[in-house]
Amino acid sequence: MNTMNINPQPPVEKLRSLAGVISHSLDVDPGSSRPLKMETRDLGLFYGAFQAVGNIDMRIRANQVTAIIGPSGCGKSTVLRCLNRMNDLVPNARVSGQVLLDGSNLYAPGVDVVNVRRQIGMVFQRPNPFPKSIYENVAYGPRLYGINRRAILDEIVENSLRHAALWDEVKDKLNHHAYALSGGQQQRLCIARALAVEPEVILMDEPASALDPIATYRIEELIRQLREDVTIVIVTHNMQQAARVSDETAFFMVNDRRMGYLVEFGPTTQIFTNPKNKQTEDYISGRFG
Amino acid sequence: MTGRTLSNATNITGVSPDDPPTLPRRLAYIHPRQSHPRRAVNALMLGLTGLMTLLALAPLVWIIVYVVARGLPHVNLAFFTQLPRPLGMEGGGVLHAIQGTIVLALLSSLFATPPGVLAAFYVARYPNTPLGIAVRFGTDVLSGVPSIVIGLFGYSLIVKQQGHYSAVAGGLALAILMLPTIIRTTEEMIKLVPANLREASLALGGPEWKTALSVILPAAANGVATGFLLAIARASGETAPLLFTALGNERYDIGAIVRGGIAAQQSLGTILGRILNQPVDSLPLTLWKYAQQPYPERVDKAWAAALVLMVLILLLNGFARLWMQHRASKMRG
Repeated sequence: MNTMNINPQPPVEKLRSLAGVISHSLDVDPGSSRPLKMETRDLGLFYGAFQAVGNIDMRIRANQVTAIIGPSGCGKSTVLRCLNRMNDLVPNARVSGQVLLDGSNLYAPGVDVVNVRRQIGMVFQRPNPFPKSIYENVAYGPRLYGINRRAILDEIVENSLRHAALWDEVKDKLNHHAYALSGGQQQRLCIARALAVEPEVILMDEPASALDPIATYRIEELIRQLREDVTIVIVTHNMQQAARVSDETAFFMVNDRRMGYLVEFGPTTQIFTNPKNKQTEDYISGRFG
Repeated sequence: MTGRTLSNATNITGVSPDDPPTLPRRLAYIHPRQSHPRRAVNALMLGLTGLMTLLALAPLVWIIVYVVARGLPHVNLAFFTQLPRPLGMEGGGVLHAIQGTIVLALLSSLFATPPGVLAAFYVARYPNTPLGIAVRFGTDVLSGVPSIVIGLFGYSLIVKQQGHYSAVAGGLALAILMLPTIIRTTEEMIKLVPANLREASLALGGPEWKTALSVILPAAANGVATGFLLAIARASGETAPLLFTALGNERYDIGAIVRGGIAAQQSLGTILGRILNQPVDSLPLTLWKYAQQPYPERVDKAWAAALVLMVLILLLNGFARLWMQHRASKMRG
């Protein structure tokens, strides 16, 4: 007896409803004509002898939102953290393959990791503002790069907060402690903080998973606006979210050796309506994961 | 289809609604009876533990009451503001020891805090490197070294080289004593700082040292200060390391040194040198010396010094603990 198939909604109809979501949200051309911003070539990551992810070949286009989806434990976040070398911090983690930003390898010898992270910012799963004032949170990055003139900092802070759609809510309380903000506001503050150093790419690791639906909606809206200025790579558990915000989608799976790998990569519309791979189709239609 | 999957699920668990769960009744005989020996044993043991708790607390209460009773009558303004008078004369105070205690506390903090805090950062960041392991092992061993041995170390390192006892030597000995406490508490506080704060700073392109200095240290500052207070409290009560280093000095008066220095138009460096580079007294050192003397007025002074010292250390400890609790509640909230 087929006990796997307990989904009352037939897959085809579910796919159609997802496609509806997509045609609403994608008001720009999802075309692959935009220039390439980042690329991974045969990227893999090992913890000691254990290979956590492998054979990752992705092409991330400029001013687009690229979503990474897949079941838990498939290495989505691990791959994301390879993209700005945050995995350097993990003891005995080793990266193989290449990650290119504008054609040059981030893992080449002599590359300054501080420089890499300046160009490729990151927003984390849980909002993690510094225990400082709202102003100082945003000004932290510019100060790192030696900007100390008050007038310039004021401008950067206002600009970043405006871009993160937070300015109107906090403009009268910039000196308040960041912890006084709500979770959603804190996450937008973290986005503003990342924007303040003018990165070219922003990596987002399930940025809305700790937030309520309204705060999630605002973050998604923000992501769609931000792609005009930066390239965004977002890891998400939520397939609807990927469908709503992204232009291209990478689908990851985990094999029987617990290694994560890339199953399919393509325009979001295609992944969600006409996936080429059987596994992608099964996952998208909710048959597992 | 839905109905079929439902009935399927019912079959899997193997429980049907007509079959309510029942508990075995075989254990019913232990239901409490009024006069069970277990209750008497329970009461006895409870009484015993209560008694032992009181017994353990008794010395503390006794010490406090006794020291207050013997010391309080001799604590007056002169005790804090005057130097000792010659033997046989009434009055006078222990201003020299109070000043010496402050100078020693400042010097030892100055010597111990920078290396202690930085070492704690290293150990917290690289716990499993050979140096990290060595430092941690070292602090454990150091905290077990008898304080008189540390005094001897200060003696051979500074007193013997310089040819005289000094506040600097005493401060160094106390600093060595404070190091393990500072390293350990600072390390614990650094570990309490959420890792994602560090990641946030590094993801902005912050170098490690800047992250440590402007994100982790401020976040851990309250805890670091608490550890520092505990270390000071411990060092301020020590006598043994000072016997070989600070020695004691009944004529130590910073006010007189400064006034004399200004009158002789000495430079700031010279005056500071005269304050730091001569033997000093401290409250526990004075207490130790006065208590051995056969003159009642000196013994009275020793009791008063004991009271002042005890209050000082209790205050420091209490303050540190309050601070720690406040900090912990803030971390949770």
